[in-house]
Amino acid sequence: MISVSPRALDPKVKLDLNNLSPEQVALEIKNLNLYYGDKQALQNISMSIPKGQVTAFIGPSGCGKSTLLRCINRMNDLVDICKVEGEINLHGQNIYGKQVDVAALRRQVGMVFQRPNPFPKTIYENVVYGLRIMGENNRRVLDEAAEKSLRSAALWNEVKDRLHDSALGLSGGQQQRLVIARAIAIQPEVLLLDEPTSALDPISTLTIEELINDLKKQFTVVIVTHNMQQAARVSDQTAFMYMGDLIEYSDTNTLFTTPAKKKTEDYITGRYG
Amino acid sequence: MDNINLGRHISGQFNEDLENVINHVMHMGGLVEKQLSDSLTAVYDADETLAKNVLANDYKINALEVSIDDECTRIIAKRQPAAGDLRLIMAIVKTIADLERIGDEAQKIARVALENFSGEQKALLLNLDNLGRKVLEFLQATLDAFTRMDVDAAVKTHQSDEKIDREYEALMRQLMTYMMEDPRSIPQIMTVIWSARALERIGDRCQNICEYIIYFVKGKDVRHTTAEDIKSL
Repeated sequence: MISVSPRALDPKVKLDLNNLSPEQVALEIKNLNLYYGDKQALQNISMSIPKGQVTAFIGPSGCGKSTLLRCINRMNDLVDICKVEGEINLHGQNIYGKQVDVAALRRQVGMVFQRPNPFPKTIYENVVYGLRIMGENNRRVLDEAAEKSLRSAALWNEVKDRLHDSALGLSGGQQQRLVIARAIAIQPEVLLLDEPTSALDPISTLTIEELINDLKKQFTVVIVTHNMQQAARVSDQTAFMYMGDLIEYSDTNTLFTTPAKKKTEDYITGRYG
Repeated sequence: MDNINLGRHISGQFNEDLENVINHVMHMGGLVEKQLSDSLTAVYDADETLAKNVLANDYKINALEVSIDDECTRIIAKRQPAAGDLRLIMAIVKTIADLERIGDEAQKIARVALENFSGEQKALLLNLDNLGRKVLEFLQATLDAFTRMDVDAAVKTHQSDEKIDREYEALMRQLMTYMMEDPRSIPQIMTVIWSARALERIGDRCQNICEYIIYFVKGKDVRHTTAEDIKSL
């Protein structure tokens, strides 16, 4: 009998998520606890999110996945009763440190929400909005950025002839891609997607998924999704959360074929509850 | 079905689909077992009618393979099974392919019963029957391990193939001696050799099925690994 490890034939080299080198890490979450008033919503979460890859958070409603995602660009600061302990390191610097400028952080960590939220302005103005806020007024720079972002968001061909029409005239799927274009126009390092396709039809969903796959060449993408098959399709790593705990975090291929934890297995096979 | 935890899917329809497909595999396993056992009896008793029955019944196994395959495809398309459910479906798809081939091998054995053997050559068939009964036990143990998805039984059963292989080699040596002693017996002995070969192949296929059981339960693909690797699970 020939002794060949079947794993030796696996073409994709797996990252060891527990042992990433500093160059491989985009975000490092360390002992993160989060409380809404007295209620603890995240329990001692530690994980490293690798650079240039798509990491998905899955879990039942109320498990803390969106809360965790919002921690990454400090959206939870907007909630008065929310208290965060622990660290999230971006470039080795804790984003919850005292000197951190939250506006600057959000330029580095962009976010897209469940419902497309374009501004009631033209398509063009939507995309260059962030750059204008940052003080960029050179028409040529803005034009270039607008085209590049819209191309990256796979929207350019559909809107190039009506850049100065209202963004509100676009379909839901187009609006969501516009919002992604707006988020990437300012060249963030990390892109957070909070259920970006849950309000879209299946075809628009596939377009966005295809887009996510392209985006990871330039950005680190973190996505929260209710749709397990979507996590399986688009992500390189998947984290399963349950009641504020990080239950299992591993590469997506392993998590969806041979999960290590029973809770994960029950959830992804539809036995949860 | 100790290790198949079906009853707890939120979707009752999905439970039912999986239960049905498992029941069909077991039914198929039962048929294959009967085909093998009948073909051995037909050879041993030189029972032509029984042998013809075996040949005529093979279509049932083939039809089951096709319909189970179809069910599995439907489940994959409609339910997108993951983790244990996915491994179960994969294991079933492969298992039924091997079961179908075991059915074909049983047919080959049954054909021996349709040949005319002279009195002294009948002794050869005794030895074949010996090997056959061992293979039948192996198949029964395999199907039993499959029914219970019992990984320990699968590992233990997996090792039986070694014994079958040794027995097969011994039988081969004996048959070659006969051929050298009496070249006129070669045509009949060749028939016996083909069916011994068929039995040996059934052993290999049972071993495959044991590997699928291990894959389903443990999530480890143990095909083409050493016996030590499998024991160390």
